[in-house]
Amino acid sequence: MTDANAAIDERVKETSRLRKALIRPELGAIVGMIAVFVFFFAFAADSGMFNPQGVLNWSTVSAQFMIIAVGACMLMIAGEFDLSVGSMIGFAGMSIALMSVTLHWPVWIAILVTFMLCVSIGALIGYTVVRTGLPSFIVSLAFLFILRGFTIFFPQVIERRTIIGGISDVAEGDWLAPVFGGKVGGWIFDWLAEIGMIATFSRGTREGQPIVDGIPMLIVWALLLVAVAHVVLTRTTFGNWVFASGGDAQAARYVGVPVSRVKILMFMFTAFCATVFATCQVMEFGSAGADRGLLKEFEAIIAVVIGGALLTGGYGSVIGAALGALIFGVVQQGLFFAGVESSLFRVFLGVILLFAVILNTYIRRIITGEN
Amino acid sequence: MNSYDHNPIVEMKDIEKHFGPVIALAGVSFDIRPGECHCLLGDNGAGKSTFIKTMSGVHKPTRGEIVFEGSQMNFASPRDAMEAGIATVYQDLAMIPLMSVTRNFWMGREPVRKVGPLKFMDFAKANEVTMAEMAKMGINLRSPDQAVGTLSGGERQTVAIARAVYFGAKVLILDEPTSALGVRQTANVLATIDKVRKTGIGVVFITHNVRHAAAVGDRFTVLNRGKTLGTAQRGQITPEELQDMMAGGQEMVALEGSLGGTV
Amino acid sequence: MNTVFKTLAATALAVATTVGAAQADGERYVLVSHAPDSDSWWNTIKNGLALACEQMDVECEYRNPPTGDLADMARIIEQAAASGPDGIITTLADPDVLSGPIRDAVASGIDVIIINSGTPEQARDFGALMYVGQPEYDAGFAAGQRAAGDGIESFLCVNHYIAQPASTQRCQGFADGLGVDLGNQMIDSGQDPSEIQNRVMAYLNANPETEAVLTLGPTSADPTILALDQMGLAGDIYFGTFDLGGDIVGAIRDGVIEWGIDQQPFLQAYLPVIVLTNYHRFGVLPGNNINSGPGFVTADALDLVAELAGEYR
Repeated sequence: MTDANAAIDERVKETSRLRKALIRPELGAIVGMIAVFVFFFAFAADSGMFNPQGVLNWSTVSAQFMIIAVGACMLMIAGEFDLSVGSMIGFAGMSIALMSVTLHWPVWIAILVTFMLCVSIGALIGYTVVRTGLPSFIVSLAFLFILRGFTIFFPQVIERRTIIGGISDVAEGDWLAPVFGGKVGGWIFDWLAEIGMIATFSRGTREGQPIVDGIPMLIVWALLLVAVAHVVLTRTTFGNWVFASGGDAQAARYVGVPVSRVKILMFMFTAFCATVFATCQVMEFGSAGADRGLLKEFEAIIAVVIGGALLTGGYGSVIGAALGALIFGVVQQGLFFAGVESSLFRVFLGVILLFAVILNTYIRRIITGEN
Repeated sequence: MNSYDHNPIVEMKDIEKHFGPVIALAGVSFDIRPGECHCLLGDNGAGKSTFIKTMSGVHKPTRGEIVFEGSQMNFASPRDAMEAGIATVYQDLAMIPLMSVTRNFWMGREPVRKVGPLKFMDFAKANEVTMAEMAKMGINLRSPDQAVGTLSGGERQTVAIARAVYFGAKVLILDEPTSALGVRQTANVLATIDKVRKTGIGVVFITHNVRHAAAVGDRFTVLNRGKTLGTAQRGQITPEELQDMMAGGQEMVALEGSLGGTV
Repeated sequence: MNTVFKTLAATALAVATTVGAAQADGERYVLVSHAPDSDSWWNTIKNGLALACEQMDVECEYRNPPTGDLADMARIIEQAAASGPDGIITTLADPDVLSGPIRDAVASGIDVIIINSGTPEQARDFGALMYVGQPEYDAGFAAGQRAAGDGIESFLCVNHYIAQPASTQRCQGFADGLGVDLGNQMIDSGQDPSEIQNRVMAYLNANPETEAVLTLGPTSADPTILALDQMGLAGDIYFGTFDLGGDIVGAIRDGVIEWGIDQQPFLQAYLPVIVLTNYHRFGVLPGNNINSGPGFVTADALDLVAELAGEYR
C-alpha cells in the first residue's frame, strides 16, 4: 500500500508543472481571448474592426464591462452575489442628474454625494446579507427592484420625465466631471493623425481633427480598478481575507478573519464600481435615463465566470474577470463588425459561458482532488 | 517529562452548560498540563463538542469556572481564547481547500511587509516559514502554492496543527482529528500529536476511538451524558474498560474501583 | 460537447457567408433602432428595410440594443460608423446620448437619416440629411383634438415604455389636444402583458369615470383589449391607440378600438433606403423631411391593413 501511494505521488510530481499551468483561474479566459481574436482577425479584419475607431469602440465597451466585472469578481470571490449592480447604475446616474440639473448643485458635489449614497446602499445590502444570513442572491434581488423603482419614480415625480438631459451644460468647467467623462492622451492622437496613422474627419465642425481624439477616462478607470483590485487581492492581507471569506466563512471566522466586515466592504466596492460606471456614462452622454444599466448585473457575472471565478466563491482572479470582460465586449461588438445577425450574439455568449463553466468545474476538481 | 511536575495550563471546574431546557454539560471537570496528551473520550452526543466549544471560547459556561494559568478567565470570543494560547483544530472547518497551503497557514495572521503607506502580505517570509514548519511535522510540500485541496486528510490536519503550534499555542484542542482518516494517515496524525506534546504543549485529543486514544494518551477522561465519568492515567486502565465506560457506564461501580481513586 | 462544436461550426459558417456577401458590390446601409429585442412592432421596420434593400440591390443591416439600453445604442452607432457604411439610418430616442455618436458619424463622411423618434429640428441640428417619421407630440395632439371632437374629457394613457421621452410626449400631446391636464392620467404599465392588463383594470376600477383609453402601441394595446373585454367595457369606452398590429386591427373591425394612429413604420425604413441609394447613385435628394404619419385607421377600408398587419403595416 505504501508503495502504491508513493507511486501515485511520484506521478503527480511529474505532471505538476502542467497542472500548475492548468489551475490558473485565468487560463480559460486567456484561451478564449486568443480564440476570439483569431476568429475576428479571420472574419472581420477588413470590416473596420481593427482600425483606430473600431478598436476604440470595442475597447470602450469592454472597459464598461470590466469596471463592473472587477467589483462583481471581488464580491464573488468573497462568496456573495450582487444582482443590484444594473439598477445601481441607473440609480447613480439619475442621482447625479437630479442633483446637478434639477437641484442646481455643482456637478462635483453631485458626484461626490452620489458616490457616498451608493456606497452606503452597498453597505446596507452587505449588512443585511451578513446580519440576516439570507442568500445575497435574494437580498440583492430585492434591491434590484427597490433601486430601479426609485430610479423611475423620482425623476417622474420631480421632473415628469424619465430621461434627464442637460448634464453636459452644467458640467461645463467642472473640475471633477472630466475625471469621468474626459479623454486623455489627445496629443498622441493629434500627432498620429498628423503623420497619417489615423484618419481625420472629412467634413463638419470637426474637419481635420483625428477621428479618435483620446482615450476615454472610462478605459483609464477600468485599467486602474483592475490593477488595484488585482494587487489587493493577490498581494495583501486583505486579499487573503477575501479568499478566506468566500472559501469557507466559518473556518475563516475561527482563525479571526473579520468575515462580516470583508463581505460588507466588498458589497461597498461593487456599488463603488457601479457608480464609477454610471458617472462615466452620464458625463460622456450628458443624460441619465431610468432604464440605464438594465441586465448589466448578469453581464458582469458572466464576464467574471468566463474569467474563471467559481460561483461558489473562494476562487477567482481579477485579471481573469478583466479578460472575460474583454471577450464579452469584443464578441458583442465584433459580431456587428462581422455582419452577423445580432440575435446570434446570444448564441455565442451561451456557448462561451458553457465552455467557461465546464472548464472551471474541471479546474476545481483538479484543485480539490475530488472526482 | 512527567506532566504532574507542572501545574495545569487550563483547569475547567464543574462546568455546566444549558441550552434552554437542555442540559448539555452537567458538571464537567477537566484539566490539561504542559507536555501531556489528555484524551477526551465519549460517544456521539456525550457533550464533547459543547465542552470543547466552551473551552475554546465559543460558548460561555452556565456555571463553573475556567482557570487559565492560575487565574480565572472569561473568554468573550474564540479570538480571545486563541490569543491566550488555546488553539482549536476543528474536524472539517480547519482548512479552505481552494486556497494555497501558505494562505491557509497564515489566514487571519498574515505577515505584513510595508511599502510606504501600503501594507502587503510578505509572501517570501510566509512561504519560507510554511515550508519549514511543515517539514518539522514531517511533511515535505511540493510547493507552498499547492492548494490545500490536493493534500490528504491527514496532511490537512497536520497543516492546521503546525499552524497552531507556530502561532504559540499552549493548549491544542484537536476535535476528532482521526475520525475520517485511513490507517496510515491516522498513524501520521498520531505521530504529529506526539511531536507536539514533546515541545511542551498540552494536547486535548477528542475522539471516540479508544485505540487511537490509547496509542498516544497520557491521561483519559470519559464523558457520558454531559458528565465526566472520571480521569485515568496511562497504564491504570485498559482500552476495554474505556470502551465500556463510553458505552454507557452500566458497570460504573466496578469501573470506579478500577480507576483507583483518581475520580 | 459535440453540440457545442456543432453550434460553433454552424455559427462560423453563418459568419463566413454573411461576410462573403458584405464584400459584394453595392452600397451598405445600417439601420439602428432603440427597440429591445422583445418589441415585435419593429418587425415591420425590418421587413420594410429588407424589401427596399432587395429592390435597390444594396446591402443592409439592422441593429438594436438587446435590452433597449440607449447607452448601448450609442455604442452601436459608434461601431456602425467605424465599420464604414455609406449611410446610417437611426432613431433618435434620446438626443443627449446619441448626439455625439451621430455627429461623429456625420463628420466622418457618413450620410445619416433620422427616422421614427426625434424631430426634424434635431435632425437638421445634427447634420442629418433628413427626418422620416411622425412627430410624436403633433400626432398625440391631433389625436387629442379628434377625441375632443367626439366629446371626450378624461382619459387613461397606458405608457409601456416610460423611459422613452417620445412615449410621454404622445400622452402629453393627447392631453393638450383634449385641452386637459395630463396629471395622473398616465400610468407606467411595464412591458409584461399580464401586468399591463391588471394595471389597466386596476386603474379603471379606481377611476370609473374615465371616458377614454389611449395606448401607445401593440405592447400596451393588446393587453388593454383583453382588460376591457374582461371588465365588459369593450366597445363602451372610447379607445384609441398609436401604431397598428394584428390584434389592434381586429379590435378596430370589432368596434372595440375607435381608431389607430398609423405612423406607417414601413415607410420609415423603406424610404430612407430609397432616398440614400438614389442620393449616392444619382445625387438627387428630396427637398424636405418626410412625415410618414399620422394616418388614422378606422373600421372603414380596413381590409388591406388587416391583411398586412404586423408584416408591412
